[in-house]
Amino acid sequence: MLIEVRPVARLRGPKAVDVAGPLTELLDVLKGSDVDLAKVRVVCDWIQYKHNFRGVVDVRQIAPGTPDEELEIAVDLRRTGEGSLAAETTALLAGKGDPAGRVWLDTWSPGSEGCMWAFNRLYWLYLQLWEKATGHEYESTLPGGSSDATNSGSVRELIADLVKSWDDLAQRQSLPDELYVVELGVGNGNQAKAWLDEFRTVDQENGRGYYRRLHYLMCDYSPHVLDIARTTVGDHGDHVSSLVLDATTPTTALGFLRYKVFLVYISNVYDNLPCDEVVNIGGQPFRVDTRAYLTAESAAEISESTGVPVGELPGLVQKLFQIGPELLAEAMPTCFAGTDAAVDFWRRTWQGLQRAERFVPLPGLDSYAITPALSGEMLRPLLDAYGDVRINVNNGAVASFADTLPLLHPFGRLVCHDLFITDVGQSRTGFRGPGKYDGSVVNWVNGPLLAHIGSRKGMDVRFAPFAHRKGTNITTMTAQVRD
Amino acid sequence: MQLLPTTVVGSYSVPEWLERLKTDYHRRRLSAAHLSEIHDAAIKAAVKDQELAGIDIVSDGELRRDNDVDYLLARMPGVRAATSSKSFYFDYYDLTVTSPLGTEPVGLAEEFRFTRTLTERPVKFSLTGPFSLSRRLRDEVYGDRRELVLALAHALNAEARALVEAGATMLQIDEPFLAGYPEQVGLAVEAINVVTAGVEATWALHVCYGNRYARPSWEGHYTFLFPAVLDAGVDQLVLEFARKGDEDLPSVAELGWDRALGLGVLDVKSEQVETPEVVAGRIRRALKVIDANKLVVNPDCGLRHVPPAVARAKLSAMVEGAAQVRGQLTGAPVAVAASRQ
Repeated sequence: MLIEVRPVARLRGPKAVDVAGPLTELLDVLKGSDVDLAKVRVVCDWIQYKHNFRGVVDVRQIAPGTPDEELEIAVDLRRTGEGSLAAETTALLAGKGDPAGRVWLDTWSPGSEGCMWAFNRLYWLYLQLWEKATGHEYESTLPGGSSDATNSGSVRELIADLVKSWDDLAQRQSLPDELYVVELGVGNGNQAKAWLDEFRTVDQENGRGYYRRLHYLMCDYSPHVLDIARTTVGDHGDHVSSLVLDATTPTTALGFLRYKVFLVYISNVYDNLPCDEVVNIGGQPFRVDTRAYLTAESAAEISESTGVPVGELPGLVQKLFQIGPELLAEAMPTCFAGTDAAVDFWRRTWQGLQRAERFVPLPGLDSYAITPALSGEMLRPLLDAYGDVRINVNNGAVASFADTLPLLHPFGRLVCHDLFITDVGQSRTGFRGPGKYDGSVVNWVNGPLLAHIGSRKGMDVRFAPFAHRKGTNITTMTAQVRD
Repeated sequence: MQLLPTTVVGSYSVPEWLERLKTDYHRRRLSAAHLSEIHDAAIKAAVKDQELAGIDIVSDGELRRDNDVDYLLARMPGVRAATSSKSFYFDYYDLTVTSPLGTEPVGLAEEFRFTRTLTERPVKFSLTGPFSLSRRLRDEVYGDRRELVLALAHALNAEARALVEAGATMLQIDEPFLAGYPEQVGLAVEAINVVTAGVEATWALHVCYGNRYARPSWEGHYTFLFPAVLDAGVDQLVLEFARKGDEDLPSVAELGWDRALGLGVLDVKSEQVETPEVVAGRIRRALKVIDANKLVVNPDCGLRHVPPAVARAKLSAMVEGAAQVRGQLTGAPVAVAASRQ
């Protein structure tokens, strides 16, 4: 039996996490079961998100249905004090990870295809309804109550670098007439406004006349968000265009800007895009498949509030994904008195949403596609270098990153603020999986993977802690052409 | 040679498996002997692909080369690499000139001889030019950019002489870095003339806007080449027009270029396969300013970064497009490449 304790930094100090107690409790349960103890791994995490997709304990099948089948028992050390560890483990072992009463909301699939991400899409599509229900704007839920993207120091630094690059090109008579800047994921437009205001001021001061030639393209998945952003930057009317865009495929809408964009700015988008996970165990790579469920208690509570039988909840959730809360209320007036009631159903279901996992062996990394254009072979250097490790593949972020690079002018730059791990080893010492952030998903982005993919596309990719706010987890990633 | 002959610029599609094996070699997981055998097999396949597509003048696909610099500089006496391994084969070595450059050929003639045995068709062999090579070298010897460039040119001249002795008749100088330093075109041309001096071959000069990782490295206009390039001792200019558009094409003629022109008709930075009609259209537009007898049809640059199937399809389309225009000009029937039948 192998026991892995990941949050090692929390094992010391005044608020040290107790590992021995929960492990003893768990081992007692295992000793009393008929599980082959030689085929068990125990993994202890400390899940930092108050709202997340995990129970206190999970039992996961490794290579289910094969002669090599084993079990992984995953424990959240932050919640083991709640007193249910032994009982839940016993129930899960009895049901091989599928205890009675669970209401499954989808089928087993790679993490990126799970319904967690359908909820995430719903959030951005119907953000105004969610905000109305919660009574606060999403940006106010961010740490510090605002996006780091509007930080004036950060904006000034970006603009200074850009102007210098344009000056150099102008001196060599290689500066194009049209100067393009693209922002992916504009939020309420505050970042765009901060950037454009500062840029106009700088341009007036230095007299270069670059503002006159500037085209700022605001792109977002949410038409609602873009509407707000357009109003926010109304002062810069002629210089700003807005596009509804899937961040994972920017060139579908922006192909006409291939090799023409001097700055692509992305803030807190990558962590919010679909993500698989791959785990390496004994040199064998596995894809982490997930399946969403509601606990029996959550399902009963939602059933009571809507009058929909528990067994019909999965179908109702799928309907919500298909038509959204407004049409759902119209289609099912007996269940929902109006849109607000449908949004309430959405919020309760999201709140109760959990994910089970199992590990499916990959016959070879090239049998797994990170994106349609990128083979799983791209993961090899990371897995080879770190042995047994579980990593985020961040398929959506990788797709977005890889599809954004062709937009960059030879002297262009991609700047991204997000939650990055910058060393694969960080996945061994902390929980890097998803959590719930208001109505959306928050996740860690695999920086070394993006750096590796960027390197294969001729880019120099660098990471630095966000320099303009103390104590933030945000990292700045910069990508520009190498050589 | 027929009217509107078709050729390649140099590099051919490098399949992912070959990239992995080349990288394995740099990580000491594959022996030099095995890699050499792999290269031999890959070059045979590349030549066969070009023949099947109907290309008139073929190349070895530059498949032995890690990139456009290291294959030559890393083997040149007087040049030292900071490290002897790479994490990815295509990366550049960090190279320094630590003693005066020698003029002993580094062995490219042997590579040409091997390719020569594979095909009856004319073979074009390319060399990265002295100006571009100099941009990837740290200089601890010459202390002057011009001196370094000219020293490289003398070394390349020796290489070219050895190639001609081995039977090469079509040589090409590639200057992929020149467009980034337009003010130094005079120096580049001076060095090119050192490379070609006394070497009896048909010389081409290829200038593009970069193709590193299928990305342009610079933007600009070919007008920067003039008038300096008119003094270059070369027979043909090979330029990219498919991706950039042919806005610069009239200037090439107006500014006095009266020798052959290698017309880039395939965008090598895109995996979208051009149709023969698109290729034919590009050639017809060029014929408005360049005489048909002086036009050679080729991709914009090397096909290194496009997948093998795309490379084959693009070359076939190019051959068919050229044949359409040729047929129109001469009344000859349009032959369809074996790979398109």
